This record gives sequence, C-alpha cells and structure tokens, in this order.
Amino acid sequence: MIETENLGKSVTTADGLLHILASVNLIIKPGESIAIIGESGSGKSTLISLLAGLDTPSTGKIRINGQDITTMDEDGRAALRNQLIGFVFQAFQLLPALTALENVMLPLELNGDKQAKAKATALLDRVGLAHRLNHKAKQLSGGEQQRVALARAFVTQPALLFADEPTGNLDSKTGSHIIELLFEMNREHQTTLILVTHDKQLAERCQRSIRLAAGQLI
Amino acid sequence: MRHFSLALKLLWRDGRSGELSVLVLALIIAVSGSAGITLFADRLQNTMTNQAAEFLAADLVITSSAQIPESWLQQAQQQHLQQAQSVEFSSVLVENNSLLLASIKAVSAAYPLRGYLKTSAADYQQEAISYQGPKAGTAWVEQRVLASLNLKLGDTLTIGEQALLVQRVITYEPDKRGDFYSFSPRVMINQQDLQATGVIQPGSHVHYFFQFSGNPQALADFKQWLKPLLTPSQRLMDIHEDRPELGSALDRAERYLGLSSIVITLIAGVAIAMATRRYSERHLNATAILRCLGCKQQEILWLYSYQFIILGALASSLGCGLGWLAQDALFVMLKDLLPAQLASPSLLAVSFSFATGFMILLGFALPPLLRLKNVTALSVLRRDLQPLPVAAWLVYSLAASLVALLIWRYTQDLKMTLTLLGVGFVTLLGFAWLLGKLLWPLQQGLPKLSLVWRFGLQGLVREPPASVTQIMAFSLTLAAMILSFSVRNDLIADWQQHLPAQTPNYFALNLAPNQQEQFAQDLQSQNIDSNIFFPVTRGRLVTLNNTPVQQHVSKDSQGESATHRELSLTWSKELPEDNKIIAGQWLPSSPAGLVSVEAKLADSLGIKVGDELGFTVGSQQFSAKVNSLRSLQWDTMKPNFYMIFSPGTLAAFPSTLLTSFYADGQQKSALSALAKKYPSITLLEVDLILKQLQNLLSQLTLAINFLLCFALLAGFTVLFAAVLTTLDGRIYSGALMRTLGANSQFLRQIQIIEFAALGFISGVLAVCVSAAVLYGLYSQVLHMAYQPKWLLWAGVPPCATFIIGMAGYQGLRRVLSYAPAQVLREL
Repeated sequence: MIETENLGKSVTTADGLLHILASVNLIIKPGESIAIIGESGSGKSTLISLLAGLDTPSTGKIRINGQDITTMDEDGRAALRNQLIGFVFQAFQLLPALTALENVMLPLELNGDKQAKAKATALLDRVGLAHRLNHKAKQLSGGEQQRVALARAFVTQPALLFADEPTGNLDSKTGSHIIELLFEMNREHQTTLILVTHDKQLAERCQRSIRLAAGQLI
Repeated sequence: MRHFSLALKLLWRDGRSGELSVLVLALIIAVSGSAGITLFADRLQNTMTNQAAEFLAADLVITSSAQIPESWLQQAQQQHLQQAQSVEFSSVLVENNSLLLASIKAVSAAYPLRGYLKTSAADYQQEAISYQGPKAGTAWVEQRVLASLNLKLGDTLTIGEQALLVQRVITYEPDKRGDFYSFSPRVMINQQDLQATGVIQPGSHVHYFFQFSGNPQALADFKQWLKPLLTPSQRLMDIHEDRPELGSALDRAERYLGLSSIVITLIAGVAIAMATRRYSERHLNATAILRCLGCKQQEILWLYSYQFIILGALASSLGCGLGWLAQDALFVMLKDLLPAQLASPSLLAVSFSFATGFMILLGFALPPLLRLKNVTALSVLRRDLQPLPVAAWLVYSLAASLVALLIWRYTQDLKMTLTLLGVGFVTLLGFAWLLGKLLWPLQQGLPKLSLVWRFGLQGLVREPPASVTQIMAFSLTLAAMILSFSVRNDLIADWQQHLPAQTPNYFALNLAPNQQEQFAQDLQSQNIDSNIFFPVTRGRLVTLNNTPVQQHVSKDSQGESATHRELSLTWSKELPEDNKIIAGQWLPSSPAGLVSVEAKLADSLGIKVGDELGFTVGSQQFSAKVNSLRSLQWDTMKPNFYMIFSPGTLAAFPSTLLTSFYADGQQKSALSALAKKYPSITLLEVDLILKQLQNLLSQLTLAINFLLCFALLAGFTVLFAAVLTTLDGRIYSGALMRTLGANSQFLRQIQIIEFAALGFISGVLAVCVSAAVLYGLYSQVLHMAYQPKWLLWAGVPPCATFIIGMAGYQGLRRVLSYAPAQVLREL
C-alpha cells in the first residue's frame, strides 16, 4: 500500500520558488491499478518519481507498506526499489551498452539472484523476444525496446509497477500491443499498477483515475 | 557575420548553464600553462644569456694580439655600445727573494661590463661585490700571490717599474678563463698604471680584450660590420664557442625548456580535444534542430567557429594573465638564486602565448566541430543522434601537424621536433591498434566475471574505439609527464656525474717523467688521490694530407683557433674515460704513427679517418694517420685532448706529465710544500672556475625542477578534467542502475575498477611511448647514454592506476549527487 501525506515539491528558479506539487494526499491499495492523468506540466511525472523514491519531496511523507521512504537515504530507497518496484519509462531507458538479456538480468543480478539468466530468458520469451536476447538496445526497434523494458520491470516480481507514459514514444499500433502486454503481465503478477498517461482509453482500463492540475489533485 | 549575434547568444546561454565549464577550464589550463612556461622560459633564457655574458664580462669581446683600429671603437660608439678594455700578459714578480710568474690584467674603468668582481680583505673573509676594478696605484691579487711572495695586504708589489699598493684579494673574476697552460695567479691593476710599468714593449706577448655591451640589435649590427675586418690574429668571442664546458650545460638546459613547452602544449591539446569532444556530443541535438530549421552546413560551421573564437579570445586573455602571474611568482621564488637583474618578460612572448592559445584551441577543437557540421536534418527526426564517425586520420593529422608546428616554433629544432613526434606517434598508433585488437577478445570473456567486475570493465571493453581514444589521451598526458620527469633526472644526474663532490680542483703540469712515481707517493702521503698521468708534448698541427692546414680553416672556427696555437699532444694505450669513438676504431695495440682526433675539431677542419696529419714539435716535423674520431665531454674538469697518438709516435720528443686531483681546504696547505719540492711543476687551482660552473648548474637545476612541477601540475589537472568530460554517460547509467536498485557502494566499485583499469593500461602504454621517445631523444638530440628505466616500468602503471582510479572516484561524487529522476527526466 502507498500513502502520501501532504506531499509537495518545489524548485527554485530565476523567478523565485516554483511549486510543482502541493498538498497531495493519496492512498493506493495493494493490487489496485491507478491512472494519473492531467495536462502537460501538471506534475504527473514528478508525482510518480516521488512515489517511486526516484526523487525526494520538499514537504510531506510517503509510506510504502508502512515504511516512510522520505526518511531513507538514497541507498535505502535503492534497496526498496530493487525489492518492491518495477518501472516502465516513456523513453525506454535501457543501458545502451548491454544486450536485451543483460538489461533484463540486471535488477536480479543486483539482488544476487543466481537464477538471473533463466528468469530473464523466460520473461523475454514471454514478451516475444526470445530471438533477440543478444541484441544490444541500440539494435532494437522502439516497440522491442519497450518490451525489453517490460520484461525488466516484471522480472523481479515487484509489488508495485510504475509506468510513465509507456506508449508516448511509440506509434498507436505498437503502443496498443505494449498496453495489452502490460495489463496481461500485471494480471499474471498481481502487481499494483500506477500509470501516468494522456490517453483517455488507457486511463479507463485502470480501476481508478486521479487527475492533477497545477500540481494539485482535483 | 550574419550569425555572429546568434553565436553570441548561444555562447552566453551555454556559459550560464555551465555547459562550457569543462572546456573553459581546459582552455585556461592550456593557455596559462603554455603562457606561463613560454614567458618563464623566455625570461629565464634571456637572464641566462645575460648571465652567460658575465663569463665574458661583456656581450661581445674582440681578442687581439695588438691594439685594434680606433675606427672600430668609434663605430661601436656610434652604435651606442658601452666599452671596456683589458690587457693580459705574463710577468715575473720578485718580492722578498721569491719569484712568481703571474698573469697581469690591466683593466679600464668600465670593466666589467657584465657581472661583477668579488674581493675580500683577508683570506675569503668579508667578501664584497664590486662593479669596478682596482683604482690607479693599487693592485688586487689572488691569495696565491700573497702566499708565494710572502706579502700581505697593504704591502707594495712592483710590476716592472711601477710599485703598487696591494689592496684586496680577488676571490671571483667573471671572465677568468680556464686555459690551463696560461694559468698563473692573477694580479689585477688599473689600465692607467700600465704605461708606467714599462713591461709592454714592442714584440711583447700580450692579449688585448675589447669588450662591448648594449642593445642586442646594435650588437648584432656591430658584429656583422666587424666580421669582415678581422685579421687572423683577432677573434670575436661568444659564450657557446668560447666556453664549451658552460655552453653545453646551457644548451641542454635550453633544450629542456623547449621540451617542457612541448609537454605542456601536448597536455593542453589533449585537454582541449577531450573537452570539445564532449561539447560536440552535447550539441548534436541543437545542431540537428538548426539543420531542420534550414541552417546550411557552412553556416553551422561559422556559428560554432564564432563561438570558439570568442571563447578563445576570452580564455587566452585570462590564461595569459594567469600565466604572467605564475611566471612572476616563480621568479620571486627563485630570487635568491638568480642574478639581481632579471630580463623583463617580453611582450612578444605574451602575444605568442595568446596566439598559441588560439592555435591549440582551433587545432584540437576543429575536428570535433567538423563533426557537428555533418549532422543531418533527418537524424533529429529519427532521434538517431549518435556522433557521426569521422575518419580518424583527419582528426589526428590536423592536431598532429599543429603540434608539430608549435613544437618547431618552440624549439627551433627540427630534429627534436621530428624525433618527438615521429617516435611518439608511431608508438602510440601502433599500441592503439594493438589495444583495439586486444580489447575484443576480452569482451568475449566478460560474461564469466562477477557483476562488479563485469560492469567495471564493460565500459572499457564494449566500445573499443571510445576506450582507445580515452586511453590514448591518458597515456599521452602521462607519457608527457614521464618525459619531463626522466629527462630532468638524467640531466641533473649527468651534471652531477660530471661534477661530483670530489671533482679535481688542481692540475699539476710540467712534471718530469722521472718525478712521476715520487710525486704520486707524495700526494698519497697527504691522502690525495691523483688521476691518470698523461704525457704531454707541445706541438702544432701544420698540414692536412700534405697541404697547409690553414687552407682548411674557416674564420672564427674552432679549427682556426686550434691551428694558431700549440696543442697538447698526448699518447695513450687506453681510451680515456668520457671519450667515445664515433668514427674509425680505437686499437689498444695500435702501432706507432696513428692519431685519434676530437670530433668537433675534425669536423671544423674536415679531417676524416685515414687522413694524414703533419705536426711540428719545436723545429722537428712528423706525421700520423687518423685512425679514429672521438667525442668528449668538455664539462668534466678532467684533462681533455684534441690529439691522442698511439704509443711510440711521440717517443722521439721530450715530454712532461699532466695530472689532476682533488684537494680540500686542509690539504691545500700541504701543496705549497709540494710546490717547493718540485720547483719545475706548475700547480693550477681551478676552484674558482669549478665554483662558477657549479653555481650555474645548481641554478639551472632549480629552474628545471620548477618547470617539471609546472608540467606535472598541468598534467594532473588535465587528467582530472579529462575524467570529468567522460562523466555524462556515467551519470546516466548510474542513475538508471540506481533506479533498478543498485546502491552507491556498487556504483563506487564499478567506477573505481573502470578507472583503475583505464589507468593501468594507460600507464603501461605511457611507459612504452616514453621509453621509445626517450631513446630517440637521448641518442639523437641530447647525446646522452640511454639506460632502460626499470623503475618506470615498475612504478608508473601502479601510480597511474591509483591516480586515475582516484580521479574516477572523485568524479563519482557527481554521479551520486543527482536524484535518478532528475537525470532520467533530462534525457
């Protein structure tokens, strides 16, 4: 379960303090799927980064399964991410020097998993890339890269999956394939899904939608 | 100029966002480093030349056996040159029933034009500096004169018909010359008293020295005007020709200054190249967008060139300022060791440094900029923004030819330039190729390693071209540093070897062969070790292949001076220490009738192996065939000979023996007893010359140490800056790995492993490159023996591993300081 309490984020700019998020109070239950929607610049990506522990808030608290992650240091949050959290990014974010297989194995290996190769191969097979295991990220198409990213996100069997506009960089046909795959795998792994999207149809597939405007929940 | 304002705006934005900080830092290091060293070198060189002039007591000296025409002196006056004169001759002095052959020197009021005299009241007590010689009616004498003639200060000394008051003891004379055979103790008097002594009569053997100093251009003009007018008995003197033992030390020091300039230029170039590579990679996106908006390739090139020209002007100005301060600080630190009057920094050197900044910047920055020009509009739409491959030769040949040009300008030494560049680049490229080949198989073995090692090494192994470039940059910087370091060590060791603590400070001449054994024993009883006894016969070289040798000489050459006087001819079975055969052969059992000739003299007279040389000893003639040419070290203070004959060749002629030895302060007093026991021998004390030489060398050593520090400091700064330029990719992959759960310890380990490996490989490569360049440099340019330096092999790779590993570790802080979300969002 994720709980936020009075969550806020502001940055200093040349024109003074800019509030990106303010007073966000939110509860996400286990197994729930949530779409965060809103216009560009409304603070969606910032919220998801904070919830996943990729950034630190300026005010407020975030609790994941009862643990306050705002009091943890970067290494503590990294360990938490490794155990609980999977990610899918708009720009795929694969390590370019690694092959598809190595990219998927990475989170397992960081955890010292001896079965990394077998598990990663199985997941890549599941996303239909058994024939692309040893291709480097650069040699894959956008759709293929996002499938590798999906496999990487699910390979640690995370309790939470964060997806930040996962189809934003793909054409509509490839995008809908990826979404199908995402929801299928989410069902199979019974993961809590938090999704940032502009796509109304995609949002409607989630159990609940929350809307952000100018950094606040409405 | 259409895009100038856009260029200015882009530059301003980049500057404000911190985008240019690495490039600007590299540029400032480059320019201030090269400006500092150029200015320092230029100023030190001028100071050293000035100081070298002290050894002549003037900038230019005409020696003559008679008065020179009045019109010459008038010409010098027209050129606004200062003038002084001294007259030297030998005279026998008689006081208190003792006889002494002294070397009298009568000096004019303006003597010395350069440098100073040192005198003391009593023996070496309260030394005082004086910029003028003795006043009329007085004489200054060396301590030996007082001892030999039983005189003390305040007594009267009679030279010829003139009685003079002995006023001071001379302890230092700038232009005391080390001609051992005319070396008798000095008595210095005022020129006004010369006439009254009545010693100089028509036909007397007298040396006149006409000294000049002033503006370099006026001196050069005067020299040119004078040269055709000189008669065979007149000669122009110059420090390099006239004092070979000082000249060669100066030459080498000058070369070291040149080398340091090259080292700094190279290091600076590497820094700029690394920084612009990063700059161009980070500007691919913006360039592609400009291309999309209709910018032509040429316009893109101008847009960036304008920015670099502005940047270059600003950084060069700042660098020149900092360089100026740096060299000034150096001179302040060296104040006590350098002469009180320093040459002022030349504006030419400043403007040259400014231009150098530009040349380094454009030479190293242009190739990566050309890559920006080639970005296609399509690449932005496809988001395919990888840097376009550019033919490596274009990048490197441009930079290399620029470095060549700079090196040549700095050193004015084509041979040194070609040696450094040729050997360095061939080795570097050879190893780069080899490294590329070696990295590939390593890639195959990577999956077998543990996660930390795999990630640590993969940065190196996955993209060989990028790694090879990085390794080349590091090893070039390290090699440049090693080069500076080793040459400095060898140069100083070489000097110390020439002038060790117990360098002979006495020469004993005119020893009869039957006295040799007894004399050696007497020395031994005073705990003085004598060196080899060389037999000496005085003779003249008269013919070369049966033609008069005068036909083979050119004016003012070493050959001319050697054929105008008697030479010390010796014979030996063994090749003397420090002599090296460079042509022909040295045969221990050579038959009589062969001669080995000193190489520079041979070169000056055109003597080759197999030539027939004719000599006269007294009225007798003999000839010998040249069987070898020798090079020798003039700066060792040991007896050196132009001509060494095979044993037996000179058997028919009378000879005396010559040896040298070291005596310390206490042993010196015993020597006067020895001088009394062997009245025929001449004991020459060369302490003053030795002290002069040692002073000069210790000053040069200090200056060289500072230059080395400068080069090393620039090297280290550049190594750290270079690490910074490679951080972008690491910050990204670090953020991504942290997103996936990697902790900071893991990131720290992989970063250290990668940089340590980089350091180790660069260290090994740097030692290989520097060994090759050093070998070339020693054998071709510095003419010093090359010894393989095992300590470098053992020391440099671990040091490089540590230093570059630490630089990587330092850079890691930036990798860890970003929140992952921040990095991933920026992409």
